[in-house]
Amino acid sequence: MKRKLCEIGIILLFYLLQVSLGRVIRIGGIMPNFMIILPVLFGYLKGRKEGIFVGFCAGILYDLFFSDLLGFSALIFVIIGYISGMFYNNYEENSFVVPLIITAISTFSYEFLIYIGNFLLQGRLITPFFVARIILPEMVYTVLLVLALYKPVQILNRHLDSKKRKVKDSDETYS
Amino acid sequence: MSNRVKKFFTPGKILAIVAAFCALLIVVSFFSDRLVTPLRGAVSQVIIPIQRGMNGIGIGVVNRENEKRNIEDLQEENRELKDTIALLEEENKQLKHDTKDLDSLKKLYEIDKKYSSYPKTGATIIGTTSQNWNTSFVIDKGSNNGIKPDMNVVSDEGLVGMISEVHANYSIVSTVIGDNSFVSAMDEATGDHCTVRGDISMMDGGFVSLERIKQDANINDGDSIVTSAISSKYLQGILIGYAKDVKQDGNGLTKSGHLVPAVDFEHLQKVLVITQLKEFDNPETQKEGEEGETQESGET
Repeated sequence: MKRKLCEIGIILLFYLLQVSLGRVIRIGGIMPNFMIILPVLFGYLKGRKEGIFVGFCAGILYDLFFSDLLGFSALIFVIIGYISGMFYNNYEENSFVVPLIITAISTFSYEFLIYIGNFLLQGRLITPFFVARIILPEMVYTVLLVLALYKPVQILNRHLDSKKRKVKDSDETYS
Repeated sequence: MSNRVKKFFTPGKILAIVAAFCALLIVVSFFSDRLVTPLRGAVSQVIIPIQRGMNGIGIGVVNRENEKRNIEDLQEENRELKDTIALLEEENKQLKHDTKDLDSLKKLYEIDKKYSSYPKTGATIIGTTSQNWNTSFVIDKGSNNGIKPDMNVVSDEGLVGMISEVHANYSIVSTVIGDNSFVSAMDEATGDHCTVRGDISMMDGGFVSLERIKQDANINDGDSIVTSAISSKYLQGILIGYAKDVKQDGNGLTKSGHLVPAVDFEHLQKVLVITQLKEFDNPETQKEGEEGETQESGET
């Protein structure tokens, strides 16, 4: 329970970073996507169920304020959390590479879906421009953000775990 | 996965359930706003005050950074500006004289509605809508402060956009540079009509698109483009920007070009919301207009 509350707190924090800090750190009009890295990191660090939970909460918050379709981002984020959680068993302490790759792929897919829905279906056919000017820069920027935020989130995750572990028996171990 | 209690709910099943729930939400929100609006209202009660506070911190940091960097630049600029002031004062005297003539003429023609006479209220930008696809932003005033949808938003430089969504304590402004925003406009000097359309593929140049100029219209590079009288939502005579690269279209019937916005959207922090809606048969609107008129004549 405490873990869930803590995660919701982090989702709120990331949302606030997105809307306020996002404006300041924009490069060439492009800001990174803070929300999409939450299901990736929590799925990877804690497993599929956690990825689904965090993905759902983050997606709903995102949709409430930035999208006309409530549930669209939530659906994508949930799937991202699940896929990211599949790599949980291969989780190693210092492996940055897997979450980076997942982030890159999921950001690209998510933004490309938005492009299809909002632009391609309205006859804006210059796909190379949109991919090169908006989707790829956002992907790279988000991956860099994961690189910066991976360690703090990992430490927090371990901190939340250690409290639980004292009461319960430890069934999963970090090597 | 050795949890005995949650044996039934495997992650796969949870995914299916949650995904189905999301799909249901999508379908519901596609057809009706009744689900989204109360939810959004409830969440915004918690988030907007925090967001306002964080924004204050952010602006403080940015300002301090800028202050350090700019002191030398400012001194230089100050010297130049002092020279300019002297010039402008001279010019101002001339213009004041001209304005008196103009005022009397305007009264004769009863076209005294001017952008400066619209009632306005100030608002602070407290966040963006966090997608790279559009350029709308959030301001800290909502229906509690008397903001209504379709109200025009300006800055001291020119037209910013329009209120697109209103909530209790915040509203969302969609800008004229946002993709697929249409404003019907005209040349301030010649009165020729044209359309200003936001286009995300021009974001690198900082332009928006200027379209549907008639073949015989007289719009030249550098002309001020203002909102036109025939626009259904924008009040007349607000500066949008300046024409650039006006060229013949391939079809030989129209001309098109670029428009450089008058507003610096990158560094926008405060905006003004015009609390007068464009309605033609509303007696209240007329009264407000008259008030503005008397105020203006009192000043001059």
